[in-house]
Amino acid sequence: MDIFKRKQKVKFEGGGLVIFQGVQQAMAAERGLKAAGYIVKLVAPPPELRKGCDLAVEINLVEQPGVERVLREKDLPYVSVDPIKIDTSPLLDVVKVTDFGEWIMVKAGNMKMTYEKTSGVIVNVSGGGCPDIPYLHAELVDKKLYEASRPKDLGYTLCALNLERAFDECLALHSGGDKT
Amino acid sequence: MMLIAGTVPIRDMPLIMGSVAAEGEFLMVAGKRIPCTQGTGAMVSAALAVTSYLGLDAPHVLLVGDIGEGKGSRELYQYLIDHVDALAPTVLALHYWLPDMSQTRQLCAVIDACPRRPIMIADAASMYSAKAAGLAEKFDIFTPDASEMAFLADPQATHPAYINKHLFETDIKRTPELARAAYENHGAARLLLVKGATDYVINAGQVLATIAEPNVPALEPIGGTGDAITGLVSALAFAELEVHIAAIIAAKANRMAGKYAQVTPATRVRQVIAQFSSVFKDYLCQWSNACLIKGGN
Repeated sequence: MDIFKRKQKVKFEGGGLVIFQGVQQAMAAERGLKAAGYIVKLVAPPPELRKGCDLAVEINLVEQPGVERVLREKDLPYVSVDPIKIDTSPLLDVVKVTDFGEWIMVKAGNMKMTYEKTSGVIVNVSGGGCPDIPYLHAELVDKKLYEASRPKDLGYTLCALNLERAFDECLALHSGGDKT
Repeated sequence: MMLIAGTVPIRDMPLIMGSVAAEGEFLMVAGKRIPCTQGTGAMVSAALAVTSYLGLDAPHVLLVGDIGEGKGSRELYQYLIDHVDALAPTVLALHYWLPDMSQTRQLCAVIDACPRRPIMIADAASMYSAKAAGLAEKFDIFTPDASEMAFLADPQATHPAYINKHLFETDIKRTPELARAAYENHGAARLLLVKGATDYVINAGQVLATIAEPNVPALEPIGGTGDAITGLVSALAFAELEVHIAAIIAAKANRMAGKYAQVTPATRVRQVIAQFSSVFKDYLCQWSNACLIKGGN
């Protein structure tokens, strides 16, 4: 009968691990992240990722920047955040720059930021797929690079982290006198 | 019914569903005004341009506010998991959300059990979670850009931020090679529409078409032009064009709209989308070879 049916428990698949030096730190972080609204789980890290204790917090890896912000704000120390798949490449740190004459486009991973050379105004943000990106687009476009909030301070996801890299490069290029 | 599901950047906007209509520069859904900006708004606007031109039912959309915290995304996917069987869309296009492998797995399982399977299209983070969960082959169409193509080709990556840098540094011309890797790694949908300086339409590993004209480089910086292509291909598939034809026309229409709008890197996507009806009037008959389509010239 339907009333006795129970929903099958859904296994959490986060894809990322926060690694700690001590068990108490891991447990405190789990509590702190849950209180901030994150779905997380205490797990045993695989030997390849173990750097301190044998307890880690599994997170949705896409939420890495938001998770790290909460841990910093709540003063919850951790060693690192790593993808569970041990053969995963490190975070991409390559940027590509395209000169459109009056404008410069900087691409970092799946994210692109474009600014006007003379004014330093951000004219477009493109790429990505996480829900903070349309929000960041609305918050950043039409602002000057020096006056805009940093993507990492407004965003929550790895897309926002890539946009932060593009933003940094835009700032460096603009401050370097790239107004040709 | 064509159903588009995704997040919009309106903090705390509850889950809404309904047929979409245009109102000036905005979209109207269930009494809410949605901006036609980068993301799901641009995708829906482009799909609506197609259905309006062809005289088809407007897209149904399932939208929720989420600025990255994930709560809205989880509500949206749970609603789909619980109701997609009853909704029975013929085309289901998934877009921006906080990628969650567990919910993607549940949704695909529910859809597998549906009496009539919709055409499944994923872009943005819906594509990321489908690939990360090993479920890419459940989808009919993915619409990656060049960097996302590298992500699909990297068997270990669960997000484009973690792709192998050698894959990221590749040129768009290596798209066929990356696509082969993606298909071998089970990281690709049946059809890929790869958006770049040259657009590629690839079916089961075979390049069916490349589109490079008109060449409008300034489209790349404009936030939402990739989303618009996904909206176009989704609506054209809803119009019962074969999916590879829908993909080719979507790529051509986006480029032509960029040319018509005389875009610069500072152009807004709504200015591109505003050109679609003119582009369809001038070219849809020629491109689709189906001039009996209502509205075709």
